[in-house]
Amino acid sequence: MDLQTMLNYHWEAMIPEFIILGTTVLLTLLDLFWPPYIKRRRLAWIGLIGILLSLLSLLAVLPIEVVSILDDSFRLDSFAKAFKMLLLVGAAFVMLLAESYEPKEGMKEQRGEFYYLFLTALLGAMIMTSSGDLITLFIGLELLSISSYILAGIRKHHTASNEAAMKYVISGGISTAITLFGMSYLYGLTGSTNLKAMSIIMKETVDTQFLYLFGLAFFMVLVGLSFKIASAPFHMWAPDVYQGAPIPVTAFLSVVSKTAGFAIILRILLSLYREVWGDAVGAFSFFESNSIYIAFLAGITMIIGNVVALRQRNLKRLFAYSSIAHAGYLLVAFATLGGQYFLFDTFWFYLLAYLFMNLGAFAVIQVVSGNTEQEGIDMLTGLYQRSPWLAVAMGISILSLAGIPGTAGFIAKVSIFLGAFAVDPGFYVLAAIMAGTTVISYIYYFGILVQLFLRSSIIQTKPKVPAGINILVAVCVLMTILFGLAPNIALDFFHQHFGDLLDF
Amino acid sequence: MMENAWLIPLIPLFSSVILLIFGKQLRESAAYIGILAVLVSFICSVIVLVERIDAPTYKQEIVWLVTGEVNITAGFEVTALNTLLLVMVSLVSCLVQIYSKGYMEGEKRFSIFYTYLGFFTFAMLGLVLSPNLLQLYFFWELVGLGSFLLIGFYFYKKEAKEAAKKAFIMTRIGDLGLLIAIILLFWKTGSFDFQEIFSSIGAGEISGGMLTLIALLLFAGAVGKSGQFPLHSWLPDAMEGPTPVSALIHAATMVAAGVYLVAVTFPIFSASSTAMETVAVIGGFTAIFAASIALVQKDIKRILAYSTISQLGYMMLALGTAGYTAGIFHLLTHAFFKALLFLAAGSIIHAIHTQDIYKMGGLWKKMRLTSPLFLIGALSISGVPLLSGFFSKDEILVSAWVNGNFLLFWIAMITAFLTSFYVFRLFFLIFTGQPKTEVVSKESPFSMVLPMGILGILAVCSGYIQTPWFGSYLGEFLVKGNKFLLVPAHSEGPAWIMAAAAVFSLSGILLAYLIYVKQTISRNFLIKEGSFINTTLINKYFIDETYYFTVGKTVKGLALFCSYIERFVIGGFEWAVTGTIRSLGSAGARLQSGQVQVYGVAVFAGLAVLVIIYALTGGLIR
Repeated sequence: MDLQTMLNYHWEAMIPEFIILGTTVLLTLLDLFWPPYIKRRRLAWIGLIGILLSLLSLLAVLPIEVVSILDDSFRLDSFAKAFKMLLLVGAAFVMLLAESYEPKEGMKEQRGEFYYLFLTALLGAMIMTSSGDLITLFIGLELLSISSYILAGIRKHHTASNEAAMKYVISGGISTAITLFGMSYLYGLTGSTNLKAMSIIMKETVDTQFLYLFGLAFFMVLVGLSFKIASAPFHMWAPDVYQGAPIPVTAFLSVVSKTAGFAIILRILLSLYREVWGDAVGAFSFFESNSIYIAFLAGITMIIGNVVALRQRNLKRLFAYSSIAHAGYLLVAFATLGGQYFLFDTFWFYLLAYLFMNLGAFAVIQVVSGNTEQEGIDMLTGLYQRSPWLAVAMGISILSLAGIPGTAGFIAKVSIFLGAFAVDPGFYVLAAIMAGTTVISYIYYFGILVQLFLRSSIIQTKPKVPAGINILVAVCVLMTILFGLAPNIALDFFHQHFGDLLDF
Repeated sequence: MMENAWLIPLIPLFSSVILLIFGKQLRESAAYIGILAVLVSFICSVIVLVERIDAPTYKQEIVWLVTGEVNITAGFEVTALNTLLLVMVSLVSCLVQIYSKGYMEGEKRFSIFYTYLGFFTFAMLGLVLSPNLLQLYFFWELVGLGSFLLIGFYFYKKEAKEAAKKAFIMTRIGDLGLLIAIILLFWKTGSFDFQEIFSSIGAGEISGGMLTLIALLLFAGAVGKSGQFPLHSWLPDAMEGPTPVSALIHAATMVAAGVYLVAVTFPIFSASSTAMETVAVIGGFTAIFAASIALVQKDIKRILAYSTISQLGYMMLALGTAGYTAGIFHLLTHAFFKALLFLAAGSIIHAIHTQDIYKMGGLWKKMRLTSPLFLIGALSISGVPLLSGFFSKDEILVSAWVNGNFLLFWIAMITAFLTSFYVFRLFFLIFTGQPKTEVVSKESPFSMVLPMGILGILAVCSGYIQTPWFGSYLGEFLVKGNKFLLVPAHSEGPAWIMAAAAVFSLSGILLAYLIYVKQTISRNFLIKEGSFINTTLINKYFIDETYYFTVGKTVKGLALFCSYIERFVIGGFEWAVTGTIRSLGSAGARLQSGQVQVYGVAVFAGLAVLVIIYALTGGLIR
């Protein structure tokens, strides 16, 4: 490869990544050279501008066709575009949250890092959505993971934060090991790390022994990566880490990191296994004969998430279980993909809805908890009397998370639910579990609503709401309702710009 | 403006939301926001009406939901019928809101009252604009909710609470019929859209029996909302709400929604003669039945409530005898004169703080403005010649006559006589004779008199849009361009009907005068006090009691039985389920020990289970 080939690549397709990288470098340097009296919180605004510029440039590259750089180490296809959009919007919101995050202690000296670590994590996530090679995918994954480990423990002198980071690192290590082990099988069987080259070899394989090994690799990669989306059996770290980490980091883990996790799972498993045979004679596709396992994991995840959430009194822990449950719902969609039915728009819409409703809720939690270290459900008691606007916003987010009609969460959940019936043979048991656990989830979601509206509060202090958070909450609530009433706005946008992911 | 007609309902909703948020700060100036919003709606409605006179029906829809093959749409439609109702509803709502500013003065939950009024107006205007049955049903229920909230506005009063509940439940019984009808129509035609449904009925795609069933179920919805027999008994109780609410909801708008429903789905009804006859008979019966109860009641608002039921029966009678124009015409004129009567009654109650007409008297000299306005309303409802009620009632009588149903015609005639008698009984007892209670305050404030004045003018003049002499503008406007409506713009009947109606109405007034002013005829002349008929009427034919002892008792028995099933069978099951879930939850929480090595074990165990199952089944589980 000579310089000419290098220069001939369409590097402009990577502008969103370059902007994030540039912003990260800029923030690092500013943090280093700015005199101490300049508040480091200003870095957040620069970071936010960087993310927004990146989002703009992503919109600018939307029309261009598939771009592949360096043998697919970087691929900009509609899948990448669709997911990057979610990641960037989510990260922008998290940045707003982080800007006004003001705990009692433990954040003074690390303010700068706090902001640019979000950016490196975001960069990792973006690479995860946008690569056609196992190596770069793995690098993206690790970039995200390592940044997140530090973020979880950013409050150096706060024990819970340290514990969270420690558990997160160890769990992450296990996850990486399992994922790599699975990937090594795949490399060993196909002799390549390029997804496209691998899938060509894999779909021509008819030997049952080989197919069996592909299956093992599939489970290892799936289980390893389920760490990122916090689904069973790799969900147990989530409650501890969510609880210990600073609130913006929790929000980041539950939204951006989870979205990236789904992106890499879909990217690797779908591009490799979509056309693999499910048995020796090719009567079934791989997904057709094995989606039952994914369904099983989805069912377990929904049950664990929703049932254990019933017993939680800590809001962040409750949201950890709620986010496990939502990963379960999304796995239902993954299970029903089943090869020929590619309900990618459903998937994307769910993540979009989840982004708005979850971040809306986290923003309110952060504001209400303020600089107290309170995180119990009772901190929301009588919020309606203290701050009607926040209470209503939280209420709408909760209703959407619970999947009540009129909100985006409802449309998202219903499309997945209907998808479970649309495939043939239908996943009736899974759909029943989904419906049943949704009902269970009403108990804890409505428990929050009761605290918000029906109890009178002992505390009379009104929470101070920074302007940034006000905007964030308003946008989240607005979008939750808008996409609940007119989901076609989002879906039309999806179909117009990303098509049916034919270039996947 | 017709393209933007969808804004008309949204403006009151907007004001209602504003008041919900800022109501506490605004206090009594909340009234201005409410009034302004609905005034804008009214002006827009008038513009739409004027535009619609020369333009065809305008309809705009968006696809709201796609389920399988079917697109469910949402939108709005500007037809001749609904422009009229838009104007009527927004006008009455506007006047009532102005009136309430004076009437509700000093009320603690003043802004809440306006919030509810705005919400109700939104729902009612939305109902009228709906181009399909599904949307109509949404607003239908929202209107019911608005009515529930407003009847129960004084929720600390036990009667108000009970009345709100009763109104909600009894109308729900009818709504169930409506819902089933909508589902059946969707099943049979695959659409909720009025035009599409009418087209498939026109093409004969639905069998006669099914069509009759659908029409009767639709009518059940109308019976509940419009307080027709046998679901009428909630309406008198609903008088526990504030008087402006009675004028707006329980005289002019919501109760008219049932009549509107029949009118808007008229092609379905006219396709089934059984359904038409049922509508006519129920309407006629309700008219005379409610009028007879009104003869002996002594609460001013309840008399007006029974009068409303009776007049709604009239409208149903008109529709059932193919008098489409007559029904709508009476709907409009009735809205004006009955709202006037209610507002005037409110003004009287405001002044002397009682609702018992036997405790009133001699108010003519005390209330110089309310009294003549009440008289105008009374004359109009009685059908005294040249006022609006006269023309619309005449139109109904003619349509009953032309339809050939002479029994119903004479029932309507006698009801006209009863109507003028009980209204003037009311009038003479309140305004003439010696005062029996001290008048607390003088004439009501300007904000209360102004709306009454406007309604007074309308009660006199609104009849001239459809007269046998100057032309049937209303009928032609309604019928023109509506290809599904196979009725004439105006029914021609013999001229003696008009004369006879006038005679019946005037003789009712005369009789009331002789009994209650001159007292030349004893009050016991017709019906002896304490006689069987008298007690029956005072107790409203014992309908409430009958319901209590038949439906109520049966339901209670059933409920007792069900509660045992609930407690032991369902309860046991529930206990088992919740117990399982709870223990699962605590097991899960216990497993979550906080030790990271446990988490690792869980992962490996999970992976191992998957791999082992996969290995044992040879990778083929199906």
